Amino acid sequence: MAKKKTLISSEELQNAYVDYVLTHGSKPKSVYVFAKDNNLAEEEFYNYFGSFEGIEQSIWTDLCQKALSEVENQEVWSKYSSREKALAFFYALIELLKSKRSFVLYSLKHSGMMLGTPAIITGVKNIFEAFATGIINQGIESGELADRRFFTAKYKDALWIQFGFILNFWTKDKSAGFEKTDEAIERGINVTFDLLEKSPLDGLLDYGKFMMNNGGMKQNMKF
Amino acid sequence: MKEQDSIPTSKTQRSAKFVKTGFQVGGNYIKHYSKKLFNPTLNKDELNLDNATDIYNSLSELKGSALKVAQMLSMDNNILPKAYVDQFSLSLYNAPPLSGPLIVRTFTRYFGKTPFQIFDEFNISSTNAASIGQVHQASLEGKKLAVKIQYPGVGDSISSDLKMVKPFAFRLLGMSQKELEVYMSEVEERLLEETDYDLEIKRSIEFSEACKNIPNLIFPTYFPDLSSKRIITMDWLEGLHMKEFLKTNLSQEICNQVGQALWDFYNFQQHELRAVHADPHPGNFLITPDGKLGVIDFGCIKEMPADFYEPFFSMTSTNMLQDKIKTISTFRELEMIRKDDSPAQIEFFYQVYKEMIELFALPYMSQTFDFSKKEYFDNLYNYGERIARMPEFKQARGVKHFIYVNRTNFGLYNMLHELGAMVRTDTWKPHINTSK
Repeated sequence: MAKKKTLISSEELQNAYVDYVLTHGSKPKSVYVFAKDNNLAEEEFYNYFGSFEGIEQSIWTDLCQKALSEVENQEVWSKYSSREKALAFFYALIELLKSKRSFVLYSLKHSGMMLGTPAIITGVKNIFEAFATGIINQGIESGELADRRFFTAKYKDALWIQFGFILNFWTKDKSAGFEKTDEAIERGINVTFDLLEKSPLDGLLDYGKFMMNNGGMKQNMKF
Repeated sequence: MKEQDSIPTSKTQRSAKFVKTGFQVGGNYIKHYSKKLFNPTLNKDELNLDNATDIYNSLSELKGSALKVAQMLSMDNNILPKAYVDQFSLSLYNAPPLSGPLIVRTFTRYFGKTPFQIFDEFNISSTNAASIGQVHQASLEGKKLAVKIQYPGVGDSISSDLKMVKPFAFRLLGMSQKELEVYMSEVEERLLEETDYDLEIKRSIEFSEACKNIPNLIFPTYFPDLSSKRIITMDWLEGLHMKEFLKTNLSQEICNQVGQALWDFYNFQQHELRAVHADPHPGNFLITPDGKLGVIDFGCIKEMPADFYEPFFSMTSTNMLQDKIKTISTFRELEMIRKDDSPAQIEFFYQVYKEMIELFALPYMSQTFDFSKKEYFDNLYNYGERIARMPEFKQARGVKHFIYVNRTNFGLYNMLHELGAMVRTDTWKPHINTSK
């Protein structure tokens, strides 16, 4: 490690941290040791991050942020439906994660549970939920998705569950180039959006409501 | 066209699809017989049409090799009732496309760039489906291009698909499980080759080079730099698929010209290259406004080894069939007659196969042949129907090479028939070593 060089950007600190955990298989003993290794005073470290968790969280949020800005800068983005936007985001994210796969695996492994939200990806959750809410609103406005009282607010949670599922799938994917994950994304996101779309069930509920209010349903039901 | 929402990929999901089809087909029978109660004159056409529609819908949702099987079934006009054929023909160039982001993803995976960065223009909606992939229009430096993209996971699912299609195909074709078993590996091999786009682009370049001197035949230029394991980029050929072409007002001359190009293309390959474009369905060809035939898909190539080529074509191009002993020994070589057949069976299969070869070789017997003749095709279909009903044919016969060679030749004959073309059949003749 270049001992003489003074670290200046948070990105370099992130890289140094990733390098450390992957080489040693564990966190540095203390912020003091880590800062010293990188020719920093401990207090300088705190200018960037509050703790090691803070570094990990920031690596995750940066990846997520980068995936988002990548897809949003694609020329076709504005032409995509909500469904396609969600698909595009996941493809971009998985592609980016590939470059940091070892770290991602380390980070998830050391943060406990996969299905609940590990602390280190709470930042990601916030970013993702903002994104999900955006595309859901777009979908409802365009009529692509069904607006269901009580449920619409939960749509973003359904997408977050997919996020966890896809991430989990990818960590276990052994196919060349993680091609199976592509299939998992195509399938999973489509299934989720199929549920969020207008379906015959909506029509049925609507009809039931109508009959209740206007048809004198109770009387009619008696044969 | 409605965008396809998902490919059912896991085996259970796909099985579910087949089960659903099974139910629907069952339902169609119930519908048919209950209608028949009230109307005894009702014939099976409507039932066949209902079945074909449901099967097609189900297969086209499955994509990949299942769709390929649909295409293959539709080739055998002589086995399937007409209604099946009409529906299956749709699968030749009308399956629903995949999502836009996945297309972008496929490009970034293989080129590190989106299609919009690579091409000047790229149409994210596909123009048509190519059974295991879809075709997009693009342009680069003023040149119009066709970009074929393969669905991910096609290769993986072929084997499991075939296993599931099997019982389905047996039922549809009324054949026994055992009969097709022998040939499944041959089919699987060809299908797997078709998913290998690296191989396809290599072959496309080889074959289009080898066939370039055949009159009225054109090939797109291929761009290996813009191609990869899942993507093939070639020139965009302007033209119509055969069905659409036939709807335009055509002179007999143009039909003959296209038919001749088709005939020459196939016979040149069979006899000069001994490897043949084994997918002669109308979706693989485009006909240009000036009556040239464009070949746009080299996914399926059948190589003919000498131990098949020599005996097979010596039956059609020599007077062997007059010599019963020689003919029977050739039938044995090709496993059309087997070692353990009884004398009565030998006589039976000798008669049946001799008739088949004579029918097949008829176009070769004269200098020109008129493929518009309905009676010739009626004879072919009748022959096919007759043997389909013979209990002797519940068992597999003939070497595996027959599947693709028969498919190729009958596919070719069918296309020529649809064109109503009159062609010279002596342009490229078999080379048989007669000294043997």
